Amino acid sequence: MKKTWIVTLETYLRQIKSWSFFFMVISPFLMIALTVGISYVSADSAASSKQIAVISDSATLRQSYLKQHATGVNRKITQPTQAKKAMRENHLAGYLTLSTTTDRVRADYHGNNSLSSGTQAQVQNFLSQYQQAQNYQDAKLTAKQQRLLARTPVFKQHIATKAGTTNLTRTISFWILITMIYIILITYSSITAQEIASEKGTKIMEIIFSSTTATSYFVGKIAGIMLVILTQIGIYLLGGWAGYSIAVNNAALKPLLADNQALINGVIHNLFNINLLFLFLGVVIYTILAAYSGALVAKAEDASKAAQPVVMLSMLAFFAAFPFQNNLDALAVKILSYIPFFSSYFMPMRIINNTANWGEQLISLTILLATIGLFALYVGRQYQRLMLQTDSQNLWQHLLKRLRHQ
Amino acid sequence: MLSIQHISKVFGPVKALNDISFDVPQGQILGLIGQNGAGKSTTFHSILNFIHYEGQIQWQGHAITATDFDQIGYLPEERSLMTKLTIEQQILYLARLKGQSAKIIRPQIDDWLARFAVKGTRRSKIKDLSKGNQQKVQLICTLIHHPQLLILDEPFSGLDPVNADLLKQAILTAKQAGAAIIFSSHDMENVTALCDQLVMLRKGNIVLHGTLEDVRNQFGKTELYVTTDWTSERLATLPHVTQVTSRHANHYLLHLDDANAGPAIFDALTQGHYIEEFSQQPPTLDEIFRLKVGEDQ
Repeated sequence: MKKTWIVTLETYLRQIKSWSFFFMVISPFLMIALTVGISYVSADSAASSKQIAVISDSATLRQSYLKQHATGVNRKITQPTQAKKAMRENHLAGYLTLSTTTDRVRADYHGNNSLSSGTQAQVQNFLSQYQQAQNYQDAKLTAKQQRLLARTPVFKQHIATKAGTTNLTRTISFWILITMIYIILITYSSITAQEIASEKGTKIMEIIFSSTTATSYFVGKIAGIMLVILTQIGIYLLGGWAGYSIAVNNAALKPLLADNQALINGVIHNLFNINLLFLFLGVVIYTILAAYSGALVAKAEDASKAAQPVVMLSMLAFFAAFPFQNNLDALAVKILSYIPFFSSYFMPMRIINNTANWGEQLISLTILLATIGLFALYVGRQYQRLMLQTDSQNLWQHLLKRLRHQ
Repeated sequence: MLSIQHISKVFGPVKALNDISFDVPQGQILGLIGQNGAGKSTTFHSILNFIHYEGQIQWQGHAITATDFDQIGYLPEERSLMTKLTIEQQILYLARLKGQSAKIIRPQIDDWLARFAVKGTRRSKIKDLSKGNQQKVQLICTLIHHPQLLILDEPFSGLDPVNADLLKQAILTAKQAGAAIIFSSHDMENVTALCDQLVMLRKGNIVLHGTLEDVRNQFGKTELYVTTDWTSERLATLPHVTQVTSRHANHYLLHLDDANAGPAIFDALTQGHYIEEFSQQPPTLDEIFRLKVGEDQ
């Protein structure tokens, strides 16, 4: 056990101290930061050229408009000459001149392009309100008369929001979960196969197998890789939590998050339940398969070749899940949710959509755990022979040979 | 004591080992010699349970299991280390796998590096070391936990004479500490200098086994070293002389087909006069090796 832990620790530390691990972990954060940064800079520079100036001889009229429409207006420009210069330098989309005659309020827009429909509606709305107030004043109406004239009809839409949110929650949860499983499997299948194959190439295994048993070493190796995976998931969870905390305290995002709180809670619930266990065990069984496959190659350069069957199997399970996301009662889904290597994709799909009861989940989990145990035992026993042999066979050739032999 | 009894191993149609038996007591060194493919590495792999074999191998009276691994030091034929690690990390990792505590091993590392004159510090990366220094680090990894059974596959391969002497000294130190040592080598000089007994394998069979003296004496004293003013042509006319080899001026090696011919040759050469050298000896290990290999060809 102590030697297994020594191997686990060595594998873990060597992986997490590598630059490749650092870049692998940091790259999603960099991409998000880059995307947000570019969007911000681009939005900021575009925003200034999309602004309009509001010019009026009447300070009251201008202030009334600015009070109602704070965004999209360059407040610094107050004169037509300033506005024309800013337009020439592409810092302004146009300018609006507001004026009043004896009984009418008027707006003129000067720009290279016509106003957007939203801004047009804003201007139209402002003018109507201002004109109405002016009219009421000129007509000398009482307060009661003004209230009566201000009456408007009522129109309200009643949407079954709960059902809509539930469906959206399921769809988002499904995509996040299977994409997470797929990306982790694809990444770590190659890393595992490479890790194992690189040692086989160096023949250091003879020294190691004169110090500890192959099973102990194999278990240590897999445990080390699992720790690396858990570290990466942990960092992402921390990053997600930090991002969420920042978003919650951000004035611009707070209303958006508040509006979608039910959706967010639903997705988090779907991810942090038994599905996470299926994800983890899926990664374990694929990692063992990748290690087994890596042990079959003769040299490190063949590691990518060795990982291919594992990657293919993972891709098959991933893409097989697509057509069934809206047809979860299909017999194929029920069968595949019990078959190891597939159950990590298909059982979470059923759990998210509430089509698998606790008994079914437990049976699937038991089958998966038993398969992992037996598979690890089998590979552990074969490991020394595989690591010390010098012939190169891929996974299928090896399995065929074993079957023929038996 | 390491006891190997009647072990055989077959790889497909090839019989790699055929009924091999020998013992290596504590505090003794056994040299395993033979041509490439004779079965030396297969013998080592059998001792270490890397391969399945027929027969019985025992260490201290029982079959070797994982619990004995901590007492074994093994140097494989092909040198190999984890090149991304530092010297210290590499030594500590392998020592910890041998059941040693890092606290005990860490303070010893500098001494071992100095003893083997490794060009580098404990923080040097393995990949930055020369091939010879990597080999020395690997030797340190093999010896640092003071194994009671030392298995060295071609330990002198690639070492210059100075470093070979350092290794010889380390092997003798381990012997004095009571280790049973078995090593293979193509260098008969090292085998002669170190071994208490030797085993020669040929195509998986033992063709020679015993102490160096016993093995040499099996061949009789058929080598005659003489210093004389006779010419090589004249020496060749002496009875039972099959070959005359000139070593240097007036120094000759006569090969005899009968070890009993010595006295007659002595009389003929001296004729009552003094000669500088007349030494009748069995063949050297190197010559025996060539002879045995020659028999096969």
